[in-house]
Amino acid sequence: MIILGIDTSGYANAVGVVDGEQVLADFVFEARTDSLEKIVANIDHALKSAGLGLDCVQGIGAGLGPGSWTGIRVGVTVGKILAFSTGRPVAGVPTLEALAYGARDETSLICPVISAGTGDGVYAAFYRPAGDGFTREGDYYVGPARGLVGMIKDGTVFVGSEEVLKGLRALLGDGVKMVAAVPGGAAVAHLASLRLERGDMDDALSLTPLYLKESTAKAFINRYTRVKG
Amino acid sequence: MLVLGIETSCDETSAALVADGEEILSNIIATQLDLLRKYGGVVPEVAARRHAELIGYVIKEALDSAGRNLADVEAVAVTARQGLAGCLLIGVAAAKSLSYCRHIPLVGLHHIEGHIFANRLSNPRMSLPHVCLTVSGGHTMLLYVSDAGRYELLGTTLDDAAGEAFDKIAKFLGLDFPGGPVIDRLAVGGNSRAFKFPRPMIKAASYDFSFSGLKTAVINSLKDRVAKREKLPLPDIAASFQEAVVDVLVTKTLRAAGEKGVKTVSVTGGVSANSRLRAAFQDACKKKGLEVFFPKLSLCTDNAAMIAAAGCARLRRGERDGLDLNVLPNAPLEV
Repeated sequence: MIILGIDTSGYANAVGVVDGEQVLADFVFEARTDSLEKIVANIDHALKSAGLGLDCVQGIGAGLGPGSWTGIRVGVTVGKILAFSTGRPVAGVPTLEALAYGARDETSLICPVISAGTGDGVYAAFYRPAGDGFTREGDYYVGPARGLVGMIKDGTVFVGSEEVLKGLRALLGDGVKMVAAVPGGAAVAHLASLRLERGDMDDALSLTPLYLKESTAKAFINRYTRVKG
Repeated sequence: MLVLGIETSCDETSAALVADGEEILSNIIATQLDLLRKYGGVVPEVAARRHAELIGYVIKEALDSAGRNLADVEAVAVTARQGLAGCLLIGVAAAKSLSYCRHIPLVGLHHIEGHIFANRLSNPRMSLPHVCLTVSGGHTMLLYVSDAGRYELLGTTLDDAAGEAFDKIAKFLGLDFPGGPVIDRLAVGGNSRAFKFPRPMIKAASYDFSFSGLKTAVINSLKDRVAKREKLPLPDIAASFQEAVVDVLVTKTLRAAGEKGVKTVSVTGGVSANSRLRAAFQDACKKKGLEVFFPKLSLCTDNAAMIAAAGCARLRRGERDGLDLNVLPNAPLEV
């Protein structure tokens, strides 16, 4: 099954194409503020480099975030409209799971960590390898990196960008195993493929990003409501 | 040519199918009124999230309600310039994806050009050249339209847009959001001469506008009574404030029409739905021997049909955008 995977949640945008276990294309593009400008051309580039056209694609994997709110909206919108226009199935893939895929050879608990953009705030989750994919243990974590300290178990492997790992190393010391990785396009495609092969797809039109944080306005209203109540 | 239009520049998620730039086959508009009322205005992040949720549904509904499918669509036109960046990019991401999948041309439009075409969609016999006042909650612009796609900016607001002033006064008076329709309804039963509010820049040599001072004057003149918790004569305040705005808009637009020597005036944008503005323009234009045109009420506020119509005109001139089309939130109208 030929699957296109995209993720635009961070400074590195990813596009990949897989066919079962085989990776046909896997590109990472720097896109600090120009995801929108580059993403469709990058998809075309990835497909052409694999010798394919969009008509060969049998399913789409869209990285849902968390990450840059604007970034994830670009990728999810492109993913859902590509699925709608081609009539192909789409599977949303949490970006943290795609990041965990970077440490897929590990057998212990995997903790992918993404910067939440403000101070030492991070998004994280704990995944247990299961078959070709992962099972998430517990809820997503949103908070300061130091909050992860009390949550780790023996042998937990951390996955993240060099920058995030540097911050974690300062907190956790050198005794913890860390794997530098970004959420890859082929990783998104592979994880989407596992779902789509089981017939587990998302409804393209209702696919929405995984923000994990409310917008400032909503947070403000909720706080205000609580104080009043 | 069957064009799919997409508009997400502010708080309406809209998609439309328009044939040959003239016939509206569908025009689906999902408003965010519930969010506007909750937050008292447009919050960019909240609006962008709603666009991302709705964009697929409105495109599908635009096709379904027109009885067409994607294979019938010959081009995609999308608002790419002027608006909220995070909102614009949802429409542009969707439009690019459609263009890429279907191998059909893509064209990015300026939001104001859409409003100019809203009037042409409603009134096909409206002639060129003309003077166009486009007035809404986001902008107040006076333009000389010499030919299709050729615009000369005569004046713009230096601070608040006219519609924004309506919203702010409505908020001060504790009225519903958006303020325009509420003040319009209230003013019907009021005396427009009860309060003497200023007409900012009405005699200025330039065609620019300023409504922030008027808003402050209204609020200042009522502050003491609000502090004393006196019951305010809301219909009189609404009518007097509305008359001040209308007076400035009509006077400056007609002066521009006279200076440019045109016989036609076009009034577009959300505020062009205001009943007193329409009546005042009709009276004043009749006296001067001018013809005035307004869009159908359904085309006054933001919608994708106007974008499809404007896009069709540009596509016919051979204009195309590539898959690298980006959003330009503060772009001036190409003149």
